[in-house]
Amino acid sequence: MASHRFRVVSGSENEAFCSKRAKICLGVFLGLLVLVAVAVVLGILLGRRSPKHQQWDGKGSTANFREIVLGRCYTYTQLVHPELSTDCRKIEKAFINAFISKDPCSATEEDYVPLLKLGDQTVPCDKTVFWSKTKELAHQYTWVQREMFTLENTLLGYIADDLSWCGDADSSEINHESCPSRRNCSSNFVSVFWNLLSKRFAENACGMVQVLLNGSISNAFDKNSTFGRVEVHSLQPTKVHTLQAWVVQDIGKTPRDTCSGSSLNDLKLILSRRNIKFTCQENYR
Amino acid sequence: MPLQPRAGGAAGAAPARWSGPGTVPQLQSVFLGRCAEFLALLRPELRDKNCTAIWEAFKVVLEKDPCSVLPSDYDLFINLSRHSIPRDKSLFWENNHLLVTSFAENGHRFVSLSNVLYGMVGDFLTWCRQKNDSGLDYQSCPTSEDCENNPVDSYWKSASVQYAKDSSGVIHVMLNGSEPTGAYPVKGFFADFEVPNLQKDKVTRIEIWVMHEIGGPKLESCGEGSVKILEERLEKMGFQYSCIDDYQAVASVQREVPSLYAGQSVSFIFPLLVALASVAQM
Repeated sequence: MASHRFRVVSGSENEAFCSKRAKICLGVFLGLLVLVAVAVVLGILLGRRSPKHQQWDGKGSTANFREIVLGRCYTYTQLVHPELSTDCRKIEKAFINAFISKDPCSATEEDYVPLLKLGDQTVPCDKTVFWSKTKELAHQYTWVQREMFTLENTLLGYIADDLSWCGDADSSEINHESCPSRRNCSSNFVSVFWNLLSKRFAENACGMVQVLLNGSISNAFDKNSTFGRVEVHSLQPTKVHTLQAWVVQDIGKTPRDTCSGSSLNDLKLILSRRNIKFTCQENYR
Repeated sequence: MPLQPRAGGAAGAAPARWSGPGTVPQLQSVFLGRCAEFLALLRPELRDKNCTAIWEAFKVVLEKDPCSVLPSDYDLFINLSRHSIPRDKSLFWENNHLLVTSFAENGHRFVSLSNVLYGMVGDFLTWCRQKNDSGLDYQSCPTSEDCENNPVDSYWKSASVQYAKDSSGVIHVMLNGSEPTGAYPVKGFFADFEVPNLQKDKVTRIEIWVMHEIGGPKLESCGEGSVKILEERLEKMGFQYSCIDDYQAVASVQREVPSLYAGQSVSFIFPLLVALASVAQM
């Protein structure tokens, strides 16, 4: 059989050559298109499957967390309390190691043991000031009464105040995008830190301690606050003989709670059961 | 949390060369930490600022003879760290650093020089190179008594100029009417570097507060002594001004706390809390 008998006769020799070339070009073009499409799809899928960090409800770790921690530690140990001898590099390292490369909902007190050991600090007797819903006022107070300490006037409290931090199980990086809120999980690294530090702060207190409470809200003493949940119950009756409460109210507004209110009564009861004397003063006349 | 300096330093064996305290140890870490903190917590909208670059610009003075540092040596540092100051919030002062810091509330109520980036990084710190060596001098640093062109004074001159230039609206000045050398130092940072740089087209008026120490002498008040000199100067410059003795809001912070003016008497906690609470209402 002659193979050439079925050769298509469509115009001139040139035209046949162009269409063949065009087909090759088209084929190559289509092939490339398919390759690109596959690459894009793969990219999307892979990108989605292993995100850099997990997404949480709370705001992410504070920008430049390490620099702030180190700077604050040096400021505190050199300018605020030079009598403390602490290696700030070790503190920074212990802080980071507490939460890095770990599931941000898996925090335990053990994670912070090395940090708390390095930052161990004794507050002198009669100088401890607790606060609940009165943070700004309490800090203004200790700013002018310089020998008094709120938690944020201790080294570790000073370093961590207003900061947020968390990591990721699959990464050795700090997660700056988001961190778990208490709603996501209660055993997040920030909550566990403050609960533990508050507990130690209260355990170490001695003599007469004070608390600033907010008389402009309905429950000046809130059983669910850190003060109510952790600090009150961590006071040591062998060391603390009196808790003096100050119930302060916004000037010019009627007080919502007072020393004779029921929440303060609850506090009085808790303390009397623990053998700690309770006194209360308010500023509303 | 604002920092608060404590007295005391290292006891050195050899007599110090200069009359001021030495370079603060870990200066770079403190500087970078404060810069990072300022940008992360106080003014996050300034995220284009680069703390490393700002430090690099600052540290050129650490290579210079400690008596040859001029305010202009900080030009690049200021250039990289300057930022806008909210209108009507500027608070100038003389002889009441701690009271001003307390009253300014970390930049929330007022923005003093310690609350802008180029003032905050150096607040309460000292730094200088050694006289005859390339390292930093941790033992002592020159003050104005030793030589005029020392690193710290030149820093504050440079920062003060910029702060005044960037201030707008109502300008506030807090003076100490119990200061024996005069509430308004005619030769001082405010007089020499800030007043001359207030911008006539940006400033609406100037409000002077003359505060007196609790139980302290009322050496000068509005319209008297050096305060009068300031008032006349401002008038001559064409500024509208007013003056208040013992401005109430500041007095609330000051009340019952003589320690703010370096007195050591014990205060009653309770009235203090009332005073603080009342100020918090502003």
